[in-house]
Amino acid sequence: MIDVALHGDERRRIAEALGREPTRVELYAFDAQWSEHCSYKSSRAQLRRLPASGERVVLGPGEDAGILHLGEHEGERYAVVAAHESHNHPSQVVPFEGAATGVGGIVRDVLCMGAQLIGIADALRFGDVATPGTHQRHVAQAVVDGISAYGNAIGVPNLTGDVFFHEGFNENCLVNVIALGLVKESQIVHSFAPPGSEGWPLVLVGKATDASGFGGASFSSLALDAENDAANRGAVQVPDPFLKNVLMRATYRVFALLRERGIAAACKDLGAGGVMGCSAEICASGGYGARIDLDRINVAQANLPPEVLAVGETQERMLFILPPDVVADVLRVYNEEFSLPEIAYDARAVVIGSVTKEPRYVLRHNGQTVMDVDIELLTKPLELAVARGEYTSAQRLEPPPRVAAFLSSLDGCSREPLYSRYDAVVRGCTVLPRGYGDAGVVAPIPGSSLGVAVAVAGNPRYGVVDPRLAAECAVLEAVRKVVAVGARPIGLTDCLNFGNPTNPEHYAEFVAAVDGLERAARSLGLPFVSGNVSFYNESSAGKAVPASAIVACIGAIEDVARTVTPALKRAGSALCFAQDLDEVLHAMQEGQVLACRAITGGDACAAAVEMAFASARAGSALGVCMPDGIAGVDRGGFLMETTTPFGERVGSVLDEPAIVFGKTRWNVRAVHDAWMRPLAEIYA
Amino acid sequence: MTQRRVALRLKVPDTTAYTALVALRRLGVPVARVERATLIAVPAGDDDAALECVRRDESLFNPNLHEIEVVRLGAPGAGEIWIRADEASSMQAWRLTDEQGLPVPPPVLERARDALLCNPAIETAVVGS
Amino acid sequence: MKRVAVVIFPGTNSEEETVRLLRACGADAHLVHWSRAHTLGAYDGYVLSGGFAYEDRIRAGAVAAHDAMMDPVIDGARNGKLVMGICNGAQILLEAGLVPGTGDARRPTAAFTHNVPPHFICKKVYVKLAVQPRRSSITAALPRDAVLPAWAAHGEGRLAARACEMEELETGDHLAFVYAHADGRVDDAATPNGSALHCAGLVNREGNVLALMPHPERVFPPHAALFKSFVRGVEAS
Repeated sequence: MIDVALHGDERRRIAEALGREPTRVELYAFDAQWSEHCSYKSSRAQLRRLPASGERVVLGPGEDAGILHLGEHEGERYAVVAAHESHNHPSQVVPFEGAATGVGGIVRDVLCMGAQLIGIADALRFGDVATPGTHQRHVAQAVVDGISAYGNAIGVPNLTGDVFFHEGFNENCLVNVIALGLVKESQIVHSFAPPGSEGWPLVLVGKATDASGFGGASFSSLALDAENDAANRGAVQVPDPFLKNVLMRATYRVFALLRERGIAAACKDLGAGGVMGCSAEICASGGYGARIDLDRINVAQANLPPEVLAVGETQERMLFILPPDVVADVLRVYNEEFSLPEIAYDARAVVIGSVTKEPRYVLRHNGQTVMDVDIELLTKPLELAVARGEYTSAQRLEPPPRVAAFLSSLDGCSREPLYSRYDAVVRGCTVLPRGYGDAGVVAPIPGSSLGVAVAVAGNPRYGVVDPRLAAECAVLEAVRKVVAVGARPIGLTDCLNFGNPTNPEHYAEFVAAVDGLERAARSLGLPFVSGNVSFYNESSAGKAVPASAIVACIGAIEDVARTVTPALKRAGSALCFAQDLDEVLHAMQEGQVLACRAITGGDACAAAVEMAFASARAGSALGVCMPDGIAGVDRGGFLMETTTPFGERVGSVLDEPAIVFGKTRWNVRAVHDAWMRPLAEIYA
Repeated sequence: MTQRRVALRLKVPDTTAYTALVALRRLGVPVARVERATLIAVPAGDDDAALECVRRDESLFNPNLHEIEVVRLGAPGAGEIWIRADEASSMQAWRLTDEQGLPVPPPVLERARDALLCNPAIETAVVGS
Repeated sequence: MKRVAVVIFPGTNSEEETVRLLRACGADAHLVHWSRAHTLGAYDGYVLSGGFAYEDRIRAGAVAAHDAMMDPVIDGARNGKLVMGICNGAQILLEAGLVPGTGDARRPTAAFTHNVPPHFICKKVYVKLAVQPRRSSITAALPRDAVLPAWAAHGEGRLAARACEMEELETGDHLAFVYAHADGRVDDAATPNGSALHCAGLVNREGNVLALMPHPERVFPPHAALFKSFVRGVEAS
């Protein structure tokens, strides 16, 4: 008995369309391709509401990553490629490997668009980590180690991120990862079979296929070699950043080769659905079909059944559609010049099939046809009509604790013990490393002062109160952080992490979050160019995680020399509060803003203290003075050190390292030590 | 409290063992298969207690990734070499097998030790016989 | 004009910013990929850049150091060519026995090993020249007691060696750079990884091979003093 997740009426629809019962391989293929993860069947109708166009959008959602125009340099138009995904469930089970392979997957999405990787970001949500020895504490530590091990080895700097701790994530951590790339707009590589590619070879590149990542199926139904049983068990995907490092560089070389020859190829990474998912989508989106010989796939184990070859999700693989006369050279680059088989067992580039004019999807194995279906049927599942109920807001939004308590809490303390495990400066382009500003900033074009800024947001404490408000705030806060470093926001990505879509209350939270994202993005005139939905984040008792729409904002800076930092610069200058994004950006352009901190999660007092910390780090002994009463419920906005007062003046910069709020006076060093402690204990 | 030695092995593919295999062969060491285990010293009264102690430590053991067993021998067996870094309590165990599937002899182990597996500045190695 | 090779092993990841800074300092610098390793002998100086060659499997730098690809670099170093290794490059030079170079061929006598505490650390640091500038032709153009900004970004950067070798490192004047504060003070607080003797870099007996753990090329904008000194040393060699 084959255990698949397809609903009864989905199976009926397949049988009707085929005119027969599906074969075993076809059943697994539909199960994967029509799964929530692959098809977004429960969410697509909602996601269509999100604004996705604008003058900066070079490529909206639809391929594996979105592309935003950055600027021009020496006559070339450059763009930022952005992709955003989650890897929540694997990270809860095997946290190191799950988080590492999450980074691997998102990097491939950007790589396959023809871009150079320039940065990654991580948004993490963990459970109650107070007690040593708990699983959720181990998850919190091992996830960070996994992201560190992978990102550092492939040499892509971790530019920004955030982390929250809430018991609602005890059984379901959230690991969202974002990857950014740089591409010349004339060199974008698409993921659909190009016109005229009928008959062109399909070239599979990367790791040898094994049985890892073939989750969900009952193994008793598969005839597997007993000796391989141990390696076959489970859906653990083994990360190999060494292979990825080499694959990236080899692929950059291949893209350069294709450009030299003036060839428009297609490239797509393998993710959910394995060989089948990738090859079906790349061919169908070009209006073509595909024919693949599963025996040609490079394998790490003998006797893998055809459904594992077709659908298994072995990591570190990509697919090219190439004109026949360039294939030999591409194989040589991967297999000889970059010696893939020596890097990982039987890693290589190999021809596995071809693009067909007839729009059918055909798989052959051991001389038999094991799959032959209409490619549109396979790649276009129906959207589900989902019952939406009402959600209940559990709590009121509490005002943040007073500044001292906030700064020494897990919500407000320094994240340095965590992010200092990430290489923030590899590639030598990082202008504002993580921890030095509200957004990470890189100058990725050698010789150009153009900069890219990126920030993430999505506070679960808002999520438990109101999913719509939380989603709006996620957009506003991510945007605010980008503006705080002097960058102009140009686009957004999102990941919606919610409960069970078949639970009407959980689904209602999801819909409300989409409402919030749409509202905020439209009011700011910003497009979502990439996104992801992760459902089924619910506990064993059926309780969903705190509603978590996590948003990344990407910004453009014309001259990175004018990047604004939060470090206080001058004793005696004014501390001012303002909210309007355009006014703040304008003041920055006029040179009025010496330092800036976005107010998110804490209040203006906490922001002021953090600015004093930043100046201490820069070697200045400056402090802040603010009258009491400025603190209050999260007044979203900006705290700035200005040359002349601007907005609402709330205090001044002191020429000594002290923090003075009304009659209270603290020493910067003492508060700083308390601020460093909480996460230092977890990430010792 | 007595000590037990527990061998911790990956049951998913071992990428480090593969790199070691390729590197050793490039260095002219006649080996066809490389396996690796970490040997952990566990204070425990009996075998079951030792295994349970390792199982409970999530930073060491995950049932989806690892298999463990108590090591009976006090020294590496045929085809094996144990490496200990100065001041470390655990050891890295390597098992090298030739084209015929037999454990490699001590001279080959020594060659592997000197050519790659042991850094004499900070590690000591024991070669199995 | 002399030619400098920036060697790319499988897993190297800092080659672009390294070759960029070398060129900005006036070097005729070239990226040499491992598939072209047979051409390495034709270069006049070598830089081994940062990264994770072979993902640090077995030990950081071990596989690369022992690979035949390093033969021309080792031969070149024996013949007086200048070699500078940064981070992973430094680990490779120690594993290859080139630095401190007090043992036999390819027999290391010191190592950059696991940090204390045992995890990767990425942190802005300062390194201070702890030898006379002329002790090494690579550092000869630096001022005495130069303090240079850099980024520590490594998991295995702690100097370790047995007692007699540690003594030899000091008496033999091998301790080229130490971690310091911006004002030049050297102490534990300035040392991010527990490195013995606060060691951030070592030089060999002859002074033509330097192994430095932190990255000057990752400061933005990059701090060029050491690279300039290296390039001058190569031109004069």
